Amino acid sequence: MTTKIKDSLFKPLKKIVVEQYGIITSNRMGVIGLSFLLFFLIVAIFAPWLAPHDPWEMMYDVNEEFASLRSPSWEFPLGTTHLGYDLFSQLILATRTTLLIGSVSGAISILIGANIGLIAGYYGGKIDELLMRFTDILYGMPFLPFIIVLISLFGRHLEFIILAIVLIIWRTSARVIRAQTISIKQRQFIAAAKARGCSDFRIIYRHILPNVMPLLLLYAAFNIAWSIITEASTSFLGFGDGDTISWGGMLYELFLSGKTRVAWWWFAAPSICIILLVISLVLISRAYEEVANPRLRKR
Amino acid sequence: MADYILRRLIYMLITLFAVASILFLMFRMLPGDATLQVISPAMDEAVQQRMKAAFGLDKPLLQQYFIYLKNLVTMEWGRSFVTAQEVTAIVSYRFWNTLLLMVSGLCMTLTLGIGLGIIMAWKRNSPLDIGGTVVGLIFQAAPPFITGLLLLMTLSYRLGLFPTGGMYPAGARPDSIFGLLLMPAFWERIVLPTFTVGMYYLATPLLVMRDSMLEVLGSDYIELARAKGLKSSVIMFRHAARNALLGVVTLASILVGFAVGGQVVVESLFSWPGMGQLMVESAASHDYPVAQGTFLMLAILVIGLNFITDILYSYLDPRIKVSAEGISR
Repeated sequence: MTTKIKDSLFKPLKKIVVEQYGIITSNRMGVIGLSFLLFFLIVAIFAPWLAPHDPWEMMYDVNEEFASLRSPSWEFPLGTTHLGYDLFSQLILATRTTLLIGSVSGAISILIGANIGLIAGYYGGKIDELLMRFTDILYGMPFLPFIIVLISLFGRHLEFIILAIVLIIWRTSARVIRAQTISIKQRQFIAAAKARGCSDFRIIYRHILPNVMPLLLLYAAFNIAWSIITEASTSFLGFGDGDTISWGGMLYELFLSGKTRVAWWWFAAPSICIILLVISLVLISRAYEEVANPRLRKR
Repeated sequence: MADYILRRLIYMLITLFAVASILFLMFRMLPGDATLQVISPAMDEAVQQRMKAAFGLDKPLLQQYFIYLKNLVTMEWGRSFVTAQEVTAIVSYRFWNTLLLMVSGLCMTLTLGIGLGIIMAWKRNSPLDIGGTVVGLIFQAAPPFITGLLLLMTLSYRLGLFPTGGMYPAGARPDSIFGLLLMPAFWERIVLPTFTVGMYYLATPLLVMRDSMLEVLGSDYIELARAKGLKSSVIMFRHAARNALLGVVTLASILVGFAVGGQVVVESLFSWPGMGQLMVESAASHDYPVAQGTFLMLAILVIGLNFITDILYSYLDPRIKVSAEGISR
């Protein structure tokens, strides 16, 4: 029995991964996006070994002088902060936080959104009504204020930040995947599967899910990008986790220190990283949009 | 049509009620007990009890909830923990400032996005088309605080072209909104935040307008207009753009919802005295009555604007009424 379930879930999964890789790499923009993403991923994984210094260590230069607000040099490739912290080390370790928050909240939110969308779309009727009204209510919540209030009530920790983002960000994917599920449900092969006596579970996850997969991955990419932007914004507003470094947090420190007038290097590095990472996700999602479904723009 | 509006109106009220209820639960039941801010555990037990009674916190939760709902409707939103001002007074002053900045940002996004989108579709694959797409995507990928910081660092700090923040010079608070609009200092200060918000959302209407223009340009009636020998500028703006605009209107409701979020960041960055800045400040200082009131007002703004764009859309495209039942639920 378990092997049967394994077969029905993992075989198509492998096929899907190969297919999706094909979709992304068939598009030049997709290849560029994927390579940037892989680069950031490698930096994030090996961050502690790549960072030359402790991110919260006050640095002294070769002449034993306190290295405060140094512009980029051989010694400090991306310069230092007013407290003498090495920005290059901070940037590398921050990659880890940013990618962690982005991928975890992206994955959980697409899992919730996809399941709610599939179930609402497939069953219709009362269940659909209930789930979609709930989604509507979430749409009435102002996005960033909702997250800020939750973080300030829960406490400023990484897991609560992820929780707050997940709690609201799934709403878009649920709506879109529900719409797609409804249109797939009416196709003949679903009626055929029902006639063969397939269970609802099997129809939803074995027959409908593979057909919404490109859409699902597209929204997974969107959710990751939105989570990253959201995390950066909340950190910049001072609602980040004080124990870890993130790119948004680095910019918050800059704004707080009041050194924006002089320290352009402090601004440049994290900003460029945020933009590059988000653009790489946008490029990947555009590769999907061109192949998967031209009518996706209606969110 | 009236039937449709009525039903949307009822949905809107239900959503508002639900949001208010969730807000009540959030502030009363979450681990960081909101009352700890005012009623310190270090106080005398009897004093604590008296204060709880004064705030109505000794009553059962359900009764508190009904009192909360009644107070919402009668506009008694409590007083700030920090300044002891009426929350309604603080929020209503901030409301107009937020709306002012939001409208000017959205106007910029829509006019620039639609105009540039038409031209880009017209000059397809030209350097302008490619450049416009790239610029739009970069500004979309950059969170507004990065764009805003860049503008501040270059145009304000380095070149001194614009003031660094606020809505009017310190000490020169105008007595009315007209007084404000007549101040040159106000217009100097609204440029950078408007540009920041405007550029952030630009890519969406820009690309949608461009794509739907290209779609419309492939249709028969455009061929016919060409065959009649009409000038291509006339075809572009009079014939094609009208139909392509519908796609952008669909987006307006999404944009409006997002714009409220972008507002929070931009207001904090440029010290714009709006609801977004108030939200951040009150949440940071645990001034819960103000945070709650501001959140509710922002929610009313989001829900109300969604309602308006819904109605507007069904008015512009009668076909949508039928299918919107399926899509927008």
